[in-house]
Amino acid sequence: MKVIRPWYAAALILALGVLGLASPAAAQLTQAAPPPHAAHPRATPESIAAGKALFEGTCANCHGIDGSGANGPNIRSAAVNLGPEGLYARIRGGAIGSGMPAFTALEDAQVWVIVDYVGSLGHEGAVLATGDAQKGKEIYDANGCAKCHAIAGQGGNLGPELSKIGVLRGTVKLQAILADPGANLPLDTSLQERAAYPAYLVYRVTTKDGKAIEGMRVNEDSFTMQLRDANGRLHSVQKFEVQKIEPLPGKTFMPSYKGKLSDKQIDDLVAYLSGLGGAQ
Amino acid sequence: MRIAKYAVLLLALCCAVPSFAQVPFERLKNSDKEPQNWLTYGGNYGSQRFSGLKEITPKNVASLRVAWAYQLRGGGIMESSPIIVDGILYVTEPPSNVTAIDARTGKPLWHYVPQVPRDFVPVGLFPTNRGVAVLDDKVYLATIDDHLIALDAKSGVVRWNSLIADRMEGYAITQAPLAINGKIVVGVGGGEAGAHGFLSCFDAKDGKLLWKTYTVPLKDSDPGADTWANGSWSNGGGTTWNTGSYDPELNLIYWGTGNPAPDWNGEGRMGDNLFTCSLIALDADTGKMKWYFQFSPHETHDWDSSEPPILFDATVGGKPRKLVALANRNAFYYVLDRATGEFLTGVPFAKQTWAKGLDAKGRPIKEDAAKIEPSVEGTRVYPSLTGAINWTSPCYSPLTGLFYVNAREGYADYIKGEPKMAPGNSVGIVGGGGGGGRMSAGDDTTTNIRALEATTGKLKWEHKMVGDSWTGTLVTAGGLVFSADAAGNFFALNADTGESLWHLLLGSSVRSNPVSYAVDGKQYVVDSAGNTLFVFSLP
Repeated sequence: MKVIRPWYAAALILALGVLGLASPAAAQLTQAAPPPHAAHPRATPESIAAGKALFEGTCANCHGIDGSGANGPNIRSAAVNLGPEGLYARIRGGAIGSGMPAFTALEDAQVWVIVDYVGSLGHEGAVLATGDAQKGKEIYDANGCAKCHAIAGQGGNLGPELSKIGVLRGTVKLQAILADPGANLPLDTSLQERAAYPAYLVYRVTTKDGKAIEGMRVNEDSFTMQLRDANGRLHSVQKFEVQKIEPLPGKTFMPSYKGKLSDKQIDDLVAYLSGLGGAQ
Repeated sequence: MRIAKYAVLLLALCCAVPSFAQVPFERLKNSDKEPQNWLTYGGNYGSQRFSGLKEITPKNVASLRVAWAYQLRGGGIMESSPIIVDGILYVTEPPSNVTAIDARTGKPLWHYVPQVPRDFVPVGLFPTNRGVAVLDDKVYLATIDDHLIALDAKSGVVRWNSLIADRMEGYAITQAPLAINGKIVVGVGGGEAGAHGFLSCFDAKDGKLLWKTYTVPLKDSDPGADTWANGSWSNGGGTTWNTGSYDPELNLIYWGTGNPAPDWNGEGRMGDNLFTCSLIALDADTGKMKWYFQFSPHETHDWDSSEPPILFDATVGGKPRKLVALANRNAFYYVLDRATGEFLTGVPFAKQTWAKGLDAKGRPIKEDAAKIEPSVEGTRVYPSLTGAINWTSPCYSPLTGLFYVNAREGYADYIKGEPKMAPGNSVGIVGGGGGGGRMSAGDDTTTNIRALEATTGKLKWEHKMVGDSWTGTLVTAGGLVFSADAAGNFFALNADTGESLWHLLLGSSVRSNPVSYAVDGKQYVVDSAGNTLFVFSLP
């Protein structure tokens, strides 16, 4: 296998950058400001059901019947990431630079019930937290969670940001993650071309001279892989230059807290986390 | 005297320079004789996507570099397969725009934007366009809102504009038309919107409709109506949304048809549902069906049979045969006799769990319904909702005898829903497909370039990739196969062995079919990534 000379690739990337082409797919999405419209009415079980029916006919072909993606991206977190008004604008105005068209023929009320349905995704079977959130925050601080996780701008960057985790994950899921993080990796939907890879999946790469690198996969294509090790260092790997690349399913850099914290402490921690991002 | 001399000189010059895009039928018919051009959507009438150019070879391909790039004027992702005629490249942009470009430098010559209603959102497909057709002095465009438009090849001026179908009935078009002798053949999309599939043929001179052949019955006495229980043909389906092929000697048009409607709930339409999920062969003069072959009778997974049919001639069982091969979305590779429609071979080219195999006539022997039919909770079946292949084109090389296909490995959990068909009113349609599916994603879906022995479907080699690629393949006389992975790595493989020889990351996903052309003897290879058309050549 031969690869393009690095200076040439660099020159191309520079040229594309000047042309505004090299930005990641997600960052290219722009949209026109939506026209004046009625405010978002309160979501009800009826509006969610009506939105589901419209979603299945209008959106499911690209986003999958449950929003988990098909020809288009996974949008199960879209309501959290964009907010109801942002999601309304995305549906009305489309997303320039992607295949998302502007749904101008839908009535205001139809757009809002779709927003309600998308907002309901990922919350099926929600159970209210029973622990003490204040005590949970103390447990979070005492166990060094902030070394890897950020909340409201404060904390580390190795693990996922938790500022909106209460909206993104239900209490049952949070319990499961704390007990066995390796078996509960989130799907990464931030890069369109990665099509929902498990995020934070740990790989071991063995170089031709026998050296092993262990790191979380940040990105991968047919020719290269990008890994971040436990110290946060990025490793850029050309596949033809290494001996072996193997996933280590179940392994994560986050420890299991099962047995380390009592059931009561885990309940408290879950109560704290599930309150983040405006839930409850 | 001097004037006469100049006149003679001028006349000689006019004769020496080929007229701007004068492409009579004879040139299209013999397109293999001018490999510097790419005259039809599929490269030739057999849709082989084989380029006779051989400047770029396994030995020098590592020096390939970007010669020029062209960015879309509007937004969206480019899915167009360009046409190249005598140094002019015609490419389409979403939703239905056309740009003519100087193929040597990348400088646009004209840009045409049709009036597409702003409030039109097609059901079940991206509002995009995959290319134009050329014939004589015109360029032919089918628009997302169902118009067939003839443009002057020199200026982009509209020569005529005919309506193919009514968008309010669910029809939408993304395909390149097919130009044959004095005629323009074009199909329709809209299988999730209750559109009734048909193929139509227009007079290339004035846009007058010459014939229109429906793929699904319109009344109980129509052929195939007895294969739809209780008149369920009325829901439509069998759309003709991808460009077909043509055999000038047999004067037959070959076109794939899409799913029956509703897609995932077949309870209300028991029977084989003819002529959906089939390859149909129509007489080019009359539109009369000569034969059909149904790949997936009573289909319930949205596995359209719209994939490009590739025509080639080979010896099978000691006899020279005229063949048509199709890598189907249902994961089987089929070879038929294209004069008669006789089934010759059918083998899986990607993982499938829905059929035990094919019988002697090529009809699938399905697994038990409980294992494969969509259900309320979801039934896991390979291939996935988007199929083992979708609209992207495979290719065939007469030099290697191999069929090269980008094959998808993945599953979906197929869900049955309530069909809520609203034929005739697709705007804001609710649940028209009667279900859907949760697709495998991330590491559970891969696409791989596979080289199959064209007459048998036997795997010769495979190039594994990461992710879900939506790129067709191109094979050249220089001995190379070009395609791209999901991340946007455009690459070249050795056509004989599959060895990876060169790649370049283009920075966005590639959703198109590569093509090749030459100007002044210099070979170019073209593919698009994201909103940009990239053209490569040797230094």
